[in-house]
Amino acid sequence: MKESYSLVFNIKRHDPEAHKSWMQTYRIEAGRILRFTDVLRKINKELDPTLAWNSSCEHAQCGSCSVVINGKPMLACELLVENAVVYFGTTTFTIEPISVAPVLRDLVVDLEKAYDRVHRIRPFIIQPSKNPNQGQEYRISPRRMEGYLDATRCINCFCCATACISSHKGFLGPNAVMASVVRIMDPREDATEDRLKQLYSEEGVYRCHTSKACSHVCPKHIDVAHFVGLAKERDFT
Amino acid sequence: MQKKFKLSSTIQCDVLIIGAGGAGLRCAAHILEKRPGTHIIAVTKVSHPQKSHTSTAQGGLAAVDPKDAVDRPIYHMFDTWKGSDCMADQDVVQKIVDAAWEEIVWLENRGMHFTRDEEGRLSKRTFGGHTVRFGEASAFRAVFEADRTGKGIMDNVWGEALKGGVAFLDQTLLTELLIRNDRCVGAVLFMEKTGEFVAVSAKATVLATGGCGQVFRVTTNCRQNTGDAHAVALQAGLPLIDMEAVQFHPTGIVGPGILASETLRSVGGILRNKELDPFMARYAPKMKELAPRDLVARAIETEIREGRGILNPDHNIEHIWIDLRHLSDYVHEVQIPEVSGFFKQFMNLDPRTQLCPVRPSNHYQMGGIPTNAFGEVQRSPDTVIFGLYAAGECGCSSFHGFNRLGTNSILELITMGRFVGERVVLSMDEAAEGLPADAGDKTFSRFAGYLENKKEENIDQIREDMRRMMTENVGVFRAEEGLNTAIHALTVSAERVRGAALRCRSLQMNQELVQRWEIDNLLSVSMVIAQGALRRRESRGGHARVDFPQRRDEFNAHTLACMTEFGKIQFASRPVDMSIFEAKGDNYEKFGLIERKY
Ligand SMILES: Cc1cc2nc3c(=O)[nH]c(=O)nc-3n(C[C@H](O)[C@H](O)[C@H](O)COP(=O)(O)OP(=O)(O)OC[C@H]3O[C@@H](n4cnc5c(N)ncnc54)[C@H](O)[C@@H]3O)c2cc1C
Ligand code: SF4
Ligand code: SF4
Ligand code: FES
Repeated sequence: MKESYSLVFNIKRHDPEAHKSWMQTYRIEAGRILRFTDVLRKINKELDPTLAWNSSCEHAQCGSCSVVINGKPMLACELLVENAVVYFGTTTFTIEPISVAPVLRDLVVDLEKAYDRVHRIRPFIIQPSKNPNQGQEYRISPRRMEGYLDATRCINCFCCATACISSHKGFLGPNAVMASVVRIMDPREDATEDRLKQLYSEEGVYRCHTSKACSHVCPKHIDVAHFVGLAKERDFT
Repeated sequence: MQKKFKLSSTIQCDVLIIGAGGAGLRCAAHILEKRPGTHIIAVTKVSHPQKSHTSTAQGGLAAVDPKDAVDRPIYHMFDTWKGSDCMADQDVVQKIVDAAWEEIVWLENRGMHFTRDEEGRLSKRTFGGHTVRFGEASAFRAVFEADRTGKGIMDNVWGEALKGGVAFLDQTLLTELLIRNDRCVGAVLFMEKTGEFVAVSAKATVLATGGCGQVFRVTTNCRQNTGDAHAVALQAGLPLIDMEAVQFHPTGIVGPGILASETLRSVGGILRNKELDPFMARYAPKMKELAPRDLVARAIETEIREGRGILNPDHNIEHIWIDLRHLSDYVHEVQIPEVSGFFKQFMNLDPRTQLCPVRPSNHYQMGGIPTNAFGEVQRSPDTVIFGLYAAGECGCSSFHGFNRLGTNSILELITMGRFVGERVVLSMDEAAEGLPADAGDKTFSRFAGYLENKKEENIDQIREDMRRMMTENVGVFRAEEGLNTAIHALTVSAERVRGAALRCRSLQMNQELVQRWEIDNLLSVSMVIAQGALRRRESRGGHARVDFPQRRDEFNAHTLACMTEFGKIQFASRPVDMSIFEAKGDNYEKFGLIERKY
């Protein structure tokens, strides 16, 4: 087991004021269990304080740090140097911003724009169904929840949308579709028809080619394509 | 002053919410339910409200279910009072505990995916310090959404705020509060994405910016928790309260600072030092690994200080081991899969065959911006700033006193968020006041300074040194000598960073600029913590003075600290509310100055 690695990071940079983009190479020594966010911080401290990148929780729980590493969208805060070297079989990494939103600077994108798609599906209960226990909680059996619970783990990191070939052409995208499917399956939501109308519209599920790239890249290991598939087949039981 | 520094616009709204986490958006949702159409602007420093730190809370949220046959609100109040080491305000404790279940129903009815039992009711679990019958037995009081309760809350309050029509400003920072004659009229914001400064005029301004854990080198808190609003409040001449009351979790995972929860110890995990000695037996012969959080944290810290820790070379952090190797496959797979998974995910370790590195980590700030039980920000114990409110971890009404119980924080966020909302709704018929003519000037001179400085300094190094120093001297253990060292070191750091030049001189999406500003905030907050800790010559809750190991009644009051000039603090105090005790109702004697013994 190696204690530390000599890494080459080729990072796609962008200067919004000069309207300039370029690739910049950083050579850096990093311990085996540092995460990519730690390495980016190390680059800031030792080589270049101007390099901009995004993160928040650094616990793989907020979905702020998604970047494209050697072609694969991933969370930088959970990728260990050692695992990256093994997974990609190299110590050279190309790091680019995710492609579903405009770049603000370097690796930082305007996530608000990416979220437009999620906002469009209305990520809340649009029309509450009648609650037989007024003033108390709804009763929902765990078995009923099982069908959609996995989808509620989504952190909107947009890795799936970045990988999805259909996402760039007016498709709501896998995570947004999945969020709507959750509410269709949730007995507390009555606005199912509204939701279906949107899912079968121009921006809806028919744009999906069932490539399953979304499920493949999801850092939360959610089978996103399965939920998109439920919508395609109109099977929400 | 450079020409580029000006307000690019002035925005009018009814309510300005600064911080779009659990507390801020619960408040927004309440206002919109009671007064639809209210024009609310919610500001967040992160790239989208859903990314706020509330999303990382794992364990659960305490609330007494009125349908529960054994549990009662008075028990929850007692546990909170006892846990606080007699420093929680009892009016606040009563108000929050009584409102708790309503909030659970609110969250559930609006779509939170709580974990349920076979009958479809909300499941409940136990948590350290939560008991029934005044300490007799563990209480099943925490409702939860698997291991992602905070995310459930965040998704839900964000959804409701969106539904109600809140306007969001993402990646935007509060840099200045506009207060005139004890009335807050709005704030100045810096929009990172475009590099613009804007002034917002509001009838009500709510601070809900969360914690300030980045003060310490090892913390569970997110990158943005740099105490910005705390520092901005100080600059506006407002006090902070009880900042020396900081909670350290005994077992954070080295590196990412993720919590290795109590569960690991309750299922039989053993703490070992460099020599693999199971040292807890020396500190707590009976309870061993199951002793309370602060005791375990101090034991681990002592081992490390006395040279029996291990240095992790990659993160350059000292730690001890938690040994889970002897536990059965069943325990690993069924009882601790998540936490056990963290070691794999973030350290590449297999807890079944390898020792896992943990150490005490900063976790929670009990103190903050002082408020009354309605969330109104106080200038002194008997004056409030009209139109200014605070809720969530950045505020302190004092629900937690000097030590917070697990699952009580997210309860506080949503209840205090709602209470603030109730007050704000009442104030909406008043006319808005104009903004002062000098709005923004303080911000401009600060930011112009950052961009014009010329001195070669490694700002990241200064920040790292400061955080390490705080962990060593103002962390789990405190003593007069170390605290004086810390205060001196902070003054030196402030001097070092003052003229430091930035490499990127743009205003637009300039991470270096924001981090430069954050250091000033961290330094201010650190100074208040260190001086408060020096002044409090006793040990209480999360504040442990080796030179004064006992709690002392003469310190039975909250610390108020004002600091308009760096390092020069004016202290005052606020009495602890003991209204439950004074009401002399049933069991009132449990709410006197009781011992915090478990
Ligand atoms: C790992 C972890 C686990 C936890 N588990 C639990 C648990 O199980 N139970 C429990 O009760 N508590 C738990 N806590 C504590 C609890 O999660 C936090 O105290 C709580 O979420 C804070 O919520 P908040 O709404 O006050 O702030 P946050 O959710 O942190 O939101 C703060 C908001 O303010 C914004 N902001 C910050 N600075 C600025 C600025 N300068 N300008 C503009 N906006 C700004 C942020 O971007 C964010 O939108 C845990 C904490 C951690 C770190
Ligand atoms: S399966 Fe459909 S949604 Fe998923 S990546 Fe492929 S095209 Fe996109
Ligand atoms: S489904 Fe997975 S990849 Fe897609 S946004 Fe959610 S967590 Fe990320
Ligand atoms: S920083 Fe939150 S998921 Fe990576």
